[in-house]
Amino acid sequence: MEEESDSRKINNSFLRDHNYATEADIISTVEFNSSGELLATGDKGGRVVVFQREQESKSQPNRRGEYNVYSTFQSHEPEFDYLKSLEIEEKINKIKWLPQQNAAYFLLSTNDKTVKLWKISERDKRPEGYNLKDEDGRIRDPSTITSLRVPVLQPMDLMVEATARRVFSNAHTYHINSISVNSDLQTFISTDDLRVNLWNLEITDRSFNIVDIKPSNMEELTEVITSAEFHPRQCHTFAYSSSKGSIRLCDMRQAALCDRHCKYFEEPEDPSTRSFFSEIISSISDVKFSHNGRYLMTRDYLTVKVWDLQMENKPLETYQVHDYLRGKLCSLYENDCIFDKFECVWNGSDSVIMTGSYNNFFRMFDRNTKRDVTLEASRENSKPRAILKPRKVCVGGKRRKDEISVDSLDFSKKILHTTWHPHENIIAVAATNNLYIFQDKVN
Amino acid sequence: MITKGQKRKYSPEEVEATDRSNPIWESQRQFVFSVSLNKYQRGQELPEPSLRRSVLIANTLRQMSLEFCNAPAEDEVPPDSSLSGPEEVQQESPSNKIPSAKHHPAQVVTNSSSALTTCSGVSSLHSSHYAAGRNLANCQWNSSTVPLSNGDEDEEWESMSTDGDFSLSAAISSILTALDSNIEESPQAVQRTPFQSLENLSRSSEGSATWVKQGVRGFVGNLEEWDECRVRENQMEVTRSAYLTDFTVEDLFQDIDTSLLDKDKLFGLRGCGVGHPAGDDLPRYLLPISPSASSSQYLSNQNLKCLPSFSSFGPLSSSPASLPTIFSPSSSLFPDSRVVLPLT
Repeated sequence: MEEESDSRKINNSFLRDHNYATEADIISTVEFNSSGELLATGDKGGRVVVFQREQESKSQPNRRGEYNVYSTFQSHEPEFDYLKSLEIEEKINKIKWLPQQNAAYFLLSTNDKTVKLWKISERDKRPEGYNLKDEDGRIRDPSTITSLRVPVLQPMDLMVEATARRVFSNAHTYHINSISVNSDLQTFISTDDLRVNLWNLEITDRSFNIVDIKPSNMEELTEVITSAEFHPRQCHTFAYSSSKGSIRLCDMRQAALCDRHCKYFEEPEDPSTRSFFSEIISSISDVKFSHNGRYLMTRDYLTVKVWDLQMENKPLETYQVHDYLRGKLCSLYENDCIFDKFECVWNGSDSVIMTGSYNNFFRMFDRNTKRDVTLEASRENSKPRAILKPRKVCVGGKRRKDEISVDSLDFSKKILHTTWHPHENIIAVAATNNLYIFQDKVN
Repeated sequence: MITKGQKRKYSPEEVEATDRSNPIWESQRQFVFSVSLNKYQRGQELPEPSLRRSVLIANTLRQMSLEFCNAPAEDEVPPDSSLSGPEEVQQESPSNKIPSAKHHPAQVVTNSSSALTTCSGVSSLHSSHYAAGRNLANCQWNSSTVPLSNGDEDEEWESMSTDGDFSLSAAISSILTALDSNIEESPQAVQRTPFQSLENLSRSSEGSATWVKQGVRGFVGNLEEWDECRVRENQMEVTRSAYLTDFTVEDLFQDIDTSLLDKDKLFGLRGCGVGHPAGDDLPRYLLPISPSASSSQYLSNQNLKCLPSFSSFGPLSSSPASLPTIFSPSSSLFPDSRVVLPLT
């Protein structure tokens, strides 16, 4: 069903729903895999929960596949850095799936310092009939063995196991903010505040530093890297965004050290909107290539911008996410909300972009029709299979019914992490410790 | 609901940023400046401050101070003022240097009774910065500030130093230096040759010694400036603690558990596969980011630690919390100012 005709969404399921919010349950990342069959979430407690879509049954053709828990594992544990006397948080910052190449699923998960490659595999058979041990596992007395038998594989209940296959550690002094798998499926990059490191998936004890913006004199530091991503098609191209609102596209073929960019995307500042917080709100919190590789999307505090890779001096499109906050920047600075890092996401066909906002609102922008919609992810407003109602924030003057005024927005309820199914119109939205999955209305 | 931490007469959001002569802009500027300083300091007190956040706040501070100094002198000089008129126009292009506090044109918002201009505006700003919480930025801004006594305000403000060495940006940069002084490898960084891979950030213990020196240099520099500005504060309730005057580099480390600097232990840690970067951040905790330690008129009970990082490093006998308060600006200076700063 096309997005244009009906932008309303059905709330499909409530997953990971908790009545009370424990800090460890706060979802810190969500990601669909490349087929959309699996959805992974990472939380502040270092756990990864993977959901799998139900196979659509022929008996209920109208019932679209729902997502159920497939696997849960503890990806990262809190660590203690003895030399710094610091605890390294186990919060999962990013999860990235590798495209499926065999029966097992692979994903990369990272906390502030360490990236891990996890293999998630199913086991539904086990061998029975060992010679040297009993079914319980006890060793049999060899003198009692009189005949040999061949162990036979017997079916068992499906068990999903997650094993850590690689641990990529000790390459980052600063906090890792993003990882990105290369389209060559052999390498990936991990990015912290000042550096980008290139890894081979097979080799864990060394990485190549390809971008380093750390000045020799730290007094001159005015810019940090906020996100980086590989181009979806070209294995030699990647982009990284900065806290000053610029994006640099780098080609790894040009030099081993990609400190010099190929392209530099930055929009000149509009002097009429200049304020004390201009720089802070221009800091890019997320950068995403479109699926077709022609565009880049960036999210700063108040806007989402779509850039054409061929045009560096200004974005192709700019969408205001919550411009009504422009007059509130001072208060948002006080309560630190101005530092929130929102993510943005493309749909499968690159025609719609989505990003989160406050009060559990999230916004979708249709690039073709230029329509946009604000939806809310909350329990009260979404019953299963109910259609989401568009929300509206009124800026001033009279408030119509069902509108919310800017002052009533709840700034503690923010939607920072969202993801879109690669082929269908199914979205997953993380609202603090709750995960909402919405899909398109079906006639 | 956004809680507004400050009572304001006008909504500062409505003020245009470009309208510099507007007292509302000035009050918002001061407010944002003080909040930023506060934020920065609190951020530094965390065990692991967020680099992005620190950089953004520092840039905001730097930007505000640049705008402050570049604003044209518009206000007239009050007739009874003993201040010299607006002094030479800043010739320097906007850069990291903020030469002086000379030519601030904006009015003092907090003191509505007298339209003190130029230096006085600046000094009121400084006082409000005292209020915000002392840190190195304030110190260096006021590096040669005279005591703000009751009777001689104008004279003292006039004599405010225009020493170019003391700039806010230098303060900020020293903050950033201390922030990262020993997170990383030594300043003589390994030459990054193409295709040279980092083998899990192997470190040598001599690197840590280098960082120590670098960090100490920065700190000692700050101490000198701090000392200098304190010399002139004979009217203030300055407590000359032995902490700052007799302090030596060795004293810095005297209470440190040097067993952690033990080479064997470092190698041992590496050997067991934990692979922590060796000793690179140790000095970060030994060095203050800003020798701030004042109470203020508004945060009078808050004893801002001069060396917050000490406390995070383990059992140390000298407690930074015992650092006496340096400044207590008398309330008679700004009778009308009642800015309540949010304690974020």
